[in-house]
Amino acid sequence: MKDEELLEMAGLCAKCGTCRTVCSLYPYRKTENAVARGKVRILESALAGENLDLPAVREAMADCLLCGRCERECPNQVLYEEIVMRARAKLADEVGIPAWKSILFGNVMPSDAAMRAIRRAGAAAQRIFLKKIPTDSGLHYRFPLKFFGDGRMFPELPSKGFIESLGKSEAVSGDVMLFVGCVFDHLFPEVGGAAYETVKICGRPVSVFRGAACCGLPALTSGDRKSAFVSMEANLRSMRVAAPETIVFPCGSCLLMFKRNIPELFKEGHPLYEDALFVAKRSIDYASFLLDSGVARKFPDPATVSFPGVIGYHDSCHLTGTLKRGDEPRKVLVRAAGSAFKEMEGADLCCGYGGAFNVRDYPTSARIGENKVSVAAKGGTKIISAACSGCIFQMRDMAARTNPSMRIVHVAELARHALFGGKEQGGRR
Amino acid sequence: MKKSAFSALDEILGKRLETSFETRASYSFDATRKNFLPDAVAFPVDTLEVQRIVELANQMRFPVVPRGAGTGFSGGSLPVHGGLVLSTELMDRILAIDTENLYVVAQPGVVTGALKEEVRKMGLFYPPDPASLKFSTIGGNIAECAGGMCAVKYGVTRDYVLALEAVLGTGEIVRTGVATMKGVAGYDLTRMLVGSEGTLGVITRATLKLVPLPESVITLLAMFTENRKAAGAVNAIVAARVIPAAMELMDRTAIDCVQATIPIDLPEGTRSVLLVEVDGSAASAPPEADRVEEACRACGALEVRRAYDAPGRDDLWKLRRSISPALLRVGAVKMNEDIVVPRSRLADMLDFLSELGARKKVTVVNFGHAGDGNIHANIMISGKDQDEYRRAEEAVAEVFKAAVDMGGTITGEHGIGIVKSPFLEMEIGPMGISVMKRLKSCFDPNGILNPGKIFPEEVAGSS
Ligand SMILES: Cc1cc2nc3c(=O)[nH]c(=O)nc-3n(C[C@H](O)[C@H](O)[C@H](O)COP(=O)(O)OP(=O)(O)OC[C@H]3O[C@@H](n4cnc5c(N)ncnc54)[C@H](O)[C@@H]3O)c2cc1C
Ligand code: SF4
Ligand code: SF4
Repeated sequence: MKDEELLEMAGLCAKCGTCRTVCSLYPYRKTENAVARGKVRILESALAGENLDLPAVREAMADCLLCGRCERECPNQVLYEEIVMRARAKLADEVGIPAWKSILFGNVMPSDAAMRAIRRAGAAAQRIFLKKIPTDSGLHYRFPLKFFGDGRMFPELPSKGFIESLGKSEAVSGDVMLFVGCVFDHLFPEVGGAAYETVKICGRPVSVFRGAACCGLPALTSGDRKSAFVSMEANLRSMRVAAPETIVFPCGSCLLMFKRNIPELFKEGHPLYEDALFVAKRSIDYASFLLDSGVARKFPDPATVSFPGVIGYHDSCHLTGTLKRGDEPRKVLVRAAGSAFKEMEGADLCCGYGGAFNVRDYPTSARIGENKVSVAAKGGTKIISAACSGCIFQMRDMAARTNPSMRIVHVAELARHALFGGKEQGGRR
Repeated sequence: MKKSAFSALDEILGKRLETSFETRASYSFDATRKNFLPDAVAFPVDTLEVQRIVELANQMRFPVVPRGAGTGFSGGSLPVHGGLVLSTELMDRILAIDTENLYVVAQPGVVTGALKEEVRKMGLFYPPDPASLKFSTIGGNIAECAGGMCAVKYGVTRDYVLALEAVLGTGEIVRTGVATMKGVAGYDLTRMLVGSEGTLGVITRATLKLVPLPESVITLLAMFTENRKAAGAVNAIVAARVIPAAMELMDRTAIDCVQATIPIDLPEGTRSVLLVEVDGSAASAPPEADRVEEACRACGALEVRRAYDAPGRDDLWKLRRSISPALLRVGAVKMNEDIVVPRSRLADMLDFLSELGARKKVTVVNFGHAGDGNIHANIMISGKDQDEYRRAEEAVAEVFKAAVDMGGTITGEHGIGIVKSPFLEMEIGPMGISVMKRLKSCFDPNGILNPGKIFPEEVAGSS
């Protein structure tokens, strides 16, 4: 395995050890292999031809949440996330990627129709085979399968996705486009709905991006560049045709793709270079849109709205950390919930999801996530809000496992409650 | 290491013995950026496991290299002769905090910052504060006798080690010292182990002295037109009978380095900056801060800023904290030397360093713990030019010689390890080396623990 550029990027690491203090994984692994500098060294030795066991190197590179905390703390500005993503792609080229990933990323996620078909089949199977567990953050099913890890909870799959259930009269094009994302479309359609309803009152024509493929992040972080490009290209093309002024993302990870990764991947000279810039420039997170568009000014006096407990906000690694959009959701929460919103204990702890990491090592992912939820609970938080699909998926699982009274919601669900009343939180009971 | 050694280690440690290439690579470095691949990595959980490992190493003759967090600046935890890296990461429990007798008992793998935080919750203070405190370990701090900003007032790690438990190179367990302030029963073996860089024993438990947490802290930032004035202020402050909790000096080279990358608002003509922190009771700290400010003004300070609360103090610390990240943009390779001179020779040393940089045509960036005469002289080079590299190495040798000539030392807190062993004799002489070697053979007759460190020898290896 050779890659001069990658070797040079890795060479910036001074092995100072600062990354040990913030690594989300280190406290659970207690080994240097888990930490950024350890992985940088493992990669260096593979690139230098000292370590020829590439499948083992691939596993070492996979053992990371890509939460980016190390990179933000690094005094030497080592581009750790980029290093790991490139290494994963390189290793995928050289030794392949595990079969389950290649089917999921290559065949399912780039296709909206396939996602729908799978969800329907899953929803039916779930009702027949799995044990129902009602919790405050929605009905969950307990997976008995070893493959998914012991005791994993999975949200009840809805028979219809959010986009599928949109009425015929809803606009198909508009100045403002909502990119719902796979999770808020297929798994938690109520979040998609809340985002749509609250964005819709901005006073400009709003539409939902209907033919969306997956944003491509799961495939990209797994090193499956080919599948990622299929999704990304499809999205860029249709977005360019729709040509909205603003694209709103309720999910921070999807936004990260369009704001950071895609412009980096579609460099000058690429046929879709212009389109990538076009989309990146117009992409914005949900909370910032509420603030900029004036929706946030439409909230009633929070004293007149009641919430069933103390609301906290979870800092998603991608949204707060990488994209630096931590203040905006908080401003929205203050406008929507007033004093019911309180800064949460451990707000910036990683939820432990890490995309493919969650499937690869569910027990560790769960320990990190359970800790997250229990620290928040000890601090008195009753409702954890967030603005990223992976975090919400993970924390709902964790709350269902260990603290069924904890509610996990999207900021949009609270915003909808403040604006229109009714159900203040997600979950179908 | 022999095959039989692996199976015997496996019996002691089971899954806590790692031999994969990846793990060995992860434990092949420290903050010197040099690499030496160990044959295996062990993660013992208690003293008895450490003992069994060292006993085995004596039978089978393989090196054992203790390692805390691998953040050393002198190569202390590098397995230069291969063998087993013994990581203390799983020995990370605080065993007791005695609030009556004011001490804490901890395993070696406890991270220093975590220990400080735990005792702080009880209104107590463990003063040693190396800049690496958030990630370096108590064991590593003791083995290097780590210092820090507050050394001027509170001393260094050695001043807080009351008692130790260690597994010697022979595999025997020794308990040194006593958890009381006084204790003179025989030789001071505790101090013998402090700063021994993992060559005499593996520290398995430490009893550390605590003091009451100061009630209030005030930070001052004073700007000067030249080093001599700032160095003069350092002496004037001490003469005004204030011993600050920190007194950091940044010279023109460090200021320029920060200003070029992360600009900070400073008065026109600032060529030297002094950061002073005083702590004490709510009644005693403010008048001390006044005396510091007076002393600075009397020595010609352009401006003196002051902050009482955490955010304000944070702001004043920004300049000092920005130096390290800014340094890397000046040159890719940094030779970081931590010499010490008597406080009164500070200005002479800084003059010498700037003259040396000009003469050797290398960038030298200086800052340091002015209160105790400890200067971090950073020689920055691109790392790509052979001739530049040679000039930098010559400069390093001159820096050490000047430090010793002024009555100081070649290392204030980072230790000898492998990077300074060629210069050890320059400071302590052949007799010093001879006595140290005799002591070494008494603690570790078979040369099991951390071979290749402190004493000069030729070692190959990649960097
Ligand atoms: C960014 C940065 C800032 C720093 N700032 C400072 C500073 O301000 N002041 C300062 O003094 N140092 C500083 N250092 C250097 C370093 O952090 C210290 O030397 C620290 O004490 C090393 O601790 P460690 O746990 O990383 O030990 P390691 O690097 O793992 O080991 C250091 C030495 O201790 C030995 N050792 C470790 N554990 C044991 C044990 N249980 N028993 C016996 N021997 C053991 C090792 O064999 C080795 O010789 C800094 C380093 C970095 C990277
Ligand atoms: S903080 Fe950055 S430079 Fe330091 S060891 Fe980690 S990755 Fe390397
Ligand atoms: S990205 Fe997160 S989990 Fe991965 S090494 Fe960095 S801090 Fe650790």
